[in-house]
Amino acid sequence: MMNSSKKVIFIFLIFFNGVINSESTLIQNVTIYDGKNNDAFIGNVLIEDNKISRVSSSNLRGDLVIDATGKILTPGIIPTDTDIGIVEIGALSVTRDDSSDLYQIGFSIYDAFNPNSVLIPWNRSNGITSTLTLPQNTDSPIGGLGSFFVLDGNIEISGSKDVVMIGRVGASGGESRAETFSIMEDLLEFASSLESRDMGSYKEIAELIDDSPIAETMELHPRDLQALYKLVNDDLPLIINANRASDLLKLIEIKRKYDLNLIIMGAQEAGLVANQIAENDIPLIINPINNIPESFDELAANIELAAKLEKLGITIMFNAPRSHNFHLVRQGAGVAVANGMSYAGAIKALTLSPVEVFNLGDRGQIAKGKIADLIIWDADPLEPSSMPEKVFINGKDVDLTSRMTRLTDRYTKNKEKPNGYRN
Amino acid sequence: MTKLIKYYFLIFACFIQAEPFQSTYEPLPSENILIRNANIYDGEGNEFIETDLLIQNRKIVAIGKDLPSTNDFKVIDASDKWVTPGIIDIHSHMGVYPAPGVSTSSDGNEATSPVTADVWAEHSIWVQDPQYALALKGGVTAFHILPGSANLIGGRGVTVKNLQRNTINSMKFPDAPHSLKMACGENPKRVYGNRQQAPSTRMGNAAGYRKSWIQAEAYLNRLNEYESKSDDAKEMGYAPQRDLEMETLAGVLRGEILVHNHCYRAEEMATMINIANEFNYKITAFHHGVEAYKIADLLAENNICGALWADWWGFKHEAYDMVQANIAIVDQALNGKGCAIVHSDDAIGIQHLNQEASKALSAGLRAGFDITKARAMNWITSNPAKAAGIYEQTGSLVVGKNADVVIWSKNPFSVYALVEKVFIDGATAYDKESDFQPASDFDVGIISPNKNRIKE
Repeated sequence: MMNSSKKVIFIFLIFFNGVINSESTLIQNVTIYDGKNNDAFIGNVLIEDNKISRVSSSNLRGDLVIDATGKILTPGIIPTDTDIGIVEIGALSVTRDDSSDLYQIGFSIYDAFNPNSVLIPWNRSNGITSTLTLPQNTDSPIGGLGSFFVLDGNIEISGSKDVVMIGRVGASGGESRAETFSIMEDLLEFASSLESRDMGSYKEIAELIDDSPIAETMELHPRDLQALYKLVNDDLPLIINANRASDLLKLIEIKRKYDLNLIIMGAQEAGLVANQIAENDIPLIINPINNIPESFDELAANIELAAKLEKLGITIMFNAPRSHNFHLVRQGAGVAVANGMSYAGAIKALTLSPVEVFNLGDRGQIAKGKIADLIIWDADPLEPSSMPEKVFINGKDVDLTSRMTRLTDRYTKNKEKPNGYRN
Repeated sequence: MTKLIKYYFLIFACFIQAEPFQSTYEPLPSENILIRNANIYDGEGNEFIETDLLIQNRKIVAIGKDLPSTNDFKVIDASDKWVTPGIIDIHSHMGVYPAPGVSTSSDGNEATSPVTADVWAEHSIWVQDPQYALALKGGVTAFHILPGSANLIGGRGVTVKNLQRNTINSMKFPDAPHSLKMACGENPKRVYGNRQQAPSTRMGNAAGYRKSWIQAEAYLNRLNEYESKSDDAKEMGYAPQRDLEMETLAGVLRGEILVHNHCYRAEEMATMINIANEFNYKITAFHHGVEAYKIADLLAENNICGALWADWWGFKHEAYDMVQANIAIVDQALNGKGCAIVHSDDAIGIQHLNQEASKALSAGLRAGFDITKARAMNWITSNPAKAAGIYEQTGSLVVGKNADVVIWSKNPFSVYALVEKVFIDGATAYDKESDFQPASDFDVGIISPNKNRIKE
């Protein structure tokens, strides 16, 4: 047993030799929130290559030792609803890659991701190590594929393609929500009738579309049908944006009927149907700071929602719709804690929960063998005044410079020079 | 300055008879209160530890250690708690963009002409907006409601007490001056440029403001000429015909209406200062000012406040150069002579202005400035009070001022601090402990007939 595991490590080291800096980093005497909803404990965390190789309360040795006494260590934060990498400036359509006129269900934003977006260093310096990036809703009530991206700063995209489908239901000003639900069910019914042998060439799929009234009416493309097939057959997570209590119950019914991997986002009225959500084990993405009855679907918006859901054991994740500052999920989490949520629960909502719900691999947790996406905070991470002191992504200590810190320096240092000639 | 405003106001009021739409505000029933043993940020840059605060006849009458009390006073033990002035938001659209955000009450932008100095935000306000009560739970005791930024000159803003009432006049802050909303940059040029009309460029924007001020100067000259006549001559001649647009602009030129200017880019703010100098009016504050840090000294030299967000950016091109130290840099300009304000422009943000100030402060400290929490508290209390023209009445815990007071569970620069009590004019407006809080008519029976909206 011992020998074989040593052999595995040995092979691992040979394999990575020369590829990754093999120096180990030890974060010592740090207060650890591990992401698993455990209470904090003081310990030592050893990073070797891109992974956490040990977490221990006893002394460890590392090549580089960081004394983090009195500091808090958490997994990197993973916001679940961002447009990082696909929208640079909101009001400038030439900098937006988050929508498609042609595809409805199978629209993927993966290839549009810009690893050089200025949003990435800024959000990273605020503790965001990876992101679930979602497109805008398409014309179809279910459709559009989101991807997972690791914000490691490399020009090659690092992430997982099309890990989630999105959708929406609710007040639209156009069609009745009853029509939206009917379209949703027609599409799912059609998708359920598909066999894998039908999903061959585009030509074969196109024939299926011609034979389906809903697919034909919606002018679906084979790419759309492939995504729909994956949704029903491959347990692809489906995030539906919905708020009104009655809509949430109908979604639960649809989830049960088609055995969907359903996540509800927004969920402003979840408090009214919390028991049903808990019984059906539906994870929610909420913005805990948003208590505005912004529409007639959101009348029950309440600042204590996160606390109430947590008490019923519902899996919670957070989003932050404020443009560009997705790191403000931290502030939202802080507000959730101020209003009754547990601290460790809030940390889990920011880290491990998205990984578990969306199958994002070995991230989001401080435990042996997990990828080392880690933050050492200068103070309580749920205080918006706090900032990371160090950010590790894939075990690498990443630079925290951003365009914002550069501009700050430009206007606070070397002011005797004309601004164009400052650094 | 304020006396001058009042003097002008009198002249103007004589001319147009009584100022219409006057405040009919009446405070809630009040008590005499002794807040014991509180930690206090007074809104004047001071911090007092374990100190008492005495409220009598709606005013702050004493701050000090171990103040004597009689049986007439209700005593509140505030040990380990924090006390601040009522929070003031200088940029709100509550009431004119109420919740729910539906088209039928979306009344903040009269986007039918680039200059609408004749419109008044107070005539759009929906008094049943459920958002006021949410802001009250964030410690907000007064706020300034502005028209939107679609227009070069968008109309008059109004300052209100955060006490929901059935008429707008009964919410209006007594003796608060009106403001004039102006807007630079992308919004006006986009709104009108898309209609193939002026302005469609930033230079079109600048020409638009200047044309309006030229008209206003001419109007004011006619007015002054008429007013300088003897009573006999006045009877013989005709008064200049009233003109709602010109009355507002002349009010600015006479210093009685305060200019609040939506402007993001540094060079545009500098241009607006040039225009203000050309026509001899004062800009009270630039709002949003994502690039204010680039011209912080210029703002301080001209006594112009920066009403800013802690961190919003990127939603448009003119908001791209955000730095989180913006507020601190503006505050510290010319060795601390700057006037920084944290504003919300948002019904969520207004509930957490203390947290927004906390982010701005921490960014300032990281940028190397030496700023105390007590000073940062001014950003959401006395500085917005000054910019709204209500500083003599409120905005800081000073003897003689209105007793607009907030008791917090913890230091308000922490995200975990919750508002426990809010007093407006010495009257309890919110009390967490006894669940005393207002609900607008909108909230009543709307989800469940027997309950109010957010009661479960």
